Amino acid sequence: MPDQPDFLAQFSNALVTRAEAAKNAVVAIRLAHERHITGMLWHSGVVVASEQSLPRGDEFEFVAPGGAVMSAKIAGRDPSTNIAILRPAEPVAAPSIVAGEAHTGAIALAIGADGTGGASARLGLVNLAGPEWRSSRGGLIDRRIVLDLRLAGREEGGPVFDAAGGYLGMSTFGPRGQVIVIPAATIERVVPQLLKDGRIARGWLGVALQPVAVPDALRESADQSSGLMVMSVVEGGPAAQAGILAGDIILSVDGTSAHRLRKIARHFGADSIGRKTDLRLIRSGAVIAVQTTIAERHAA
Amino acid sequence: MSNLASIPVLMERLRVAVHATNAPRRAALGKIVVEAGHVVVGVDDAADVVLADGDGPPGETRPVVTLGGADDDLSGVLSGDADASQIDAAIRAVAAGLVVRLPGVREREMGFGAMRESLGHALLTPREIEVLAALAEGMTNKAVARRLDISLHTVKFHVESLFRKLGARTRTEAVAKASERRRQETITL
Repeated sequence: MPDQPDFLAQFSNALVTRAEAAKNAVVAIRLAHERHITGMLWHSGVVVASEQSLPRGDEFEFVAPGGAVMSAKIAGRDPSTNIAILRPAEPVAAPSIVAGEAHTGAIALAIGADGTGGASARLGLVNLAGPEWRSSRGGLIDRRIVLDLRLAGREEGGPVFDAAGGYLGMSTFGPRGQVIVIPAATIERVVPQLLKDGRIARGWLGVALQPVAVPDALRESADQSSGLMVMSVVEGGPAAQAGILAGDIILSVDGTSAHRLRKIARHFGADSIGRKTDLRLIRSGAVIAVQTTIAERHAA
Repeated sequence: MSNLASIPVLMERLRVAVHATNAPRRAALGKIVVEAGHVVVGVDDAADVVLADGDGPPGETRPVVTLGGADDDLSGVLSGDADASQIDAAIRAVAAGLVVRLPGVREREMGFGAMRESLGHALLTPREIEVLAALAEGMTNKAVARRLDISLHTVKFHVESLFRKLGARTRTEAVAKASERRRQETITL
């Protein structure tokens, strides 16, 4: 069938066209030692990047589409949703974005910046498109999107597109190198708040906690089988001021049992700052009550 | 080439291609490579190892040791300010088919993860965590018993319980698995 167009060539050409178009959406954010990570032009005045991979600092150089080197200031970062935004010193033309929708099994094209003004591309499937989830840092992520593709460190933070060219979100690394997507809806929700305040306000006690089993001898008085052991206390933080010690086992926060982590996370939203909170905890074999005042979490 | 005679016969001389974007850096790295007893070859010549300043040359198929590069696919990853002995060690290891990584921070392994509510495995007790901390320090059961002021029998009981809960067969494995668990489970409030 000589007149039939070659399907594979068509498929490949379509991908080339997509990658070519996406090139104008990515920038290379320069880090030390000639490294870079990828940022995406959200609009002409905002670059979105992966918070976990962006070092501390106020200003970064970046390579714009086409190769011009410019500078950008950090305008806000939110570790809870892994979103950081930078403001370029001068506007950079940004392609328009049409949101796509992730479906399990659909093709996903992840674009990175090559460091010289061009793009690199990765192709895979949407391995899993699931419901909303809460990050270990307490942020609400609108959908769980896992990709079946490999990503180099320098490509993290780039846009991920569906087969129709719709924008699924920002690529980033989950645990054990899994490539996940911070959905477009989450970015849409967080960016305006970051532009306004530079951060997402969250309540803070200043403790690191690990789930532990309540020792058998204390199960009855604790009335539950698990708790959160205080592994470290931030000096000067609200927990430290309330006298909470490493080794204490938190049983409940304002009556919410400590094993209901997501409910507790909701408890520490922006409106919690300044509120008094009652902790029930085990210390030295006894169940005691401690009250502390929730402060505001500052950039980690 | 009078210094070639001083190289011990058993010490392997490797052909190393040095990839750096600026000349002074290339010269400095070349010097380290030569002083370690290897030979610097051109980037396109036959080489056993490529030493790259920053991210490696794209499409490189030979084993690469990167200084400060971020690509997890590379055989060797050192920090940008690695010293001469580390560079030599990494070159040799990678040429021998091993993988070299920096200790400590493995950000990629941690990644951006979910808050887990149902952990699906038996939680450790505070006492087991104490015993584990002692095991991590390489303590014997006897030393653990002394430190925690409990009987040897009780220590053995805790160690067995740790092995069971963590699915570990050795003390080292228990420590490693617990540390991985802790990384995944720790939350900050």
